Amino acid sequence: MTLEAFQSMVFPVKNKLYRFAYRLLGNNEEAKDVVQEVFIKVWNGRDQLSEVENMEAWCMRITKNLSLDRLRQQQRRPTDSIDMGMHVSTNGLSPAETTELSESMKRIAALMNQLPEKQRQVMHLRDIEGYSYHEICEIMEIDMSQVKVSLFRARNAVREKLQKIDAYGLA
Amino acid sequence: MDLHEVEKLLEKYWQCETSLEEEQKLRDFFASGTIPASQQGAADFFQYLKAEKEKTLSKNFDGVVTKKLRHRQSGKIVEMIGYGNMARIAAGVVVVVAATFLIRQEIRKSYPKELQDTYSDPKMAFEETKRALEMISNSFGKAKKEASKMQMLNEAEKKIQAKSVDEKINI
Repeated sequence: MTLEAFQSMVFPVKNKLYRFAYRLLGNNEEAKDVVQEVFIKVWNGRDQLSEVENMEAWCMRITKNLSLDRLRQQQRRPTDSIDMGMHVSTNGLSPAETTELSESMKRIAALMNQLPEKQRQVMHLRDIEGYSYHEICEIMEIDMSQVKVSLFRARNAVREKLQKIDAYGLA
Repeated sequence: MDLHEVEKLLEKYWQCETSLEEEQKLRDFFASGTIPASQQGAADFFQYLKAEKEKTLSKNFDGVVTKKLRHRQSGKIVEMIGYGNMARIAAGVVVVVAATFLIRQEIRKSYPKELQDTYSDPKMAFEETKRALEMISNSFGKAKKEASKMQMLNEAEKKIQAKSVDEKINI
């Protein structure tokens, strides 16, 4: 496989890999390093690429494993430093509305951060990246029932917290 | 999508009963900007998911990775070893060979003289072989002498036996 073919086949998923690594590691530089590492690994194994059924899910799985390896090496738990400085489009909003929106984003980021690791990963894959349950099974290397239970619990936890925020302004 | 439909779909969403298409409808709705106050919490949550999906790698990422992959394509072994390391490996090999040679010499010196090879001097080797064969030949000669004595004894025994038989007959 030529480098050009590899680029057109694998590079388009780079942002998905980056976001997933970032979700796990909570550090921009580390997430970038992991994506580079994934590309190098996939490039080194390019001869077997034709045997891979779902290349994107495979890359995501490598990303997950490399990120978790890093966490294990550093003996720290998955991220508690998700970027709180969200870049949300604020076109047409007043300064007060912009501040309020930014506060809401921070609250939700903190809320997501409180979820157990597996629930957070499954929710990320489904609600941010839009993967099917089957693909999530493949990426996470868990069965369908675990995926569904994790997503159900995560969404319910989010819903409860949102209701509290709406009712009492508590996160 | 009217409010009633949104509420229904949202309820399905929290129960994890929505398809990917239905979830996309919800995303589109909450991105449209016309959000009823009763759904503000959910709207913030969907806004957060959207903002997360917009996180991307920096523009120079492709260039950096491509450079690394190109290096690997052109011969990763050379790159991994490098000239400095090659010199170190060569020095190591020389040390090992020299040490092996010296140790071998020492072991040879410590051998008793009679065990040493004489193949480097053909004349001496011939003499040694001749000496060994003569020794074997002498031993054979001695053994033959001893064997002829045994033969004499056997013959004497036979004669005595024949004599005693004759005497019995005459009686």
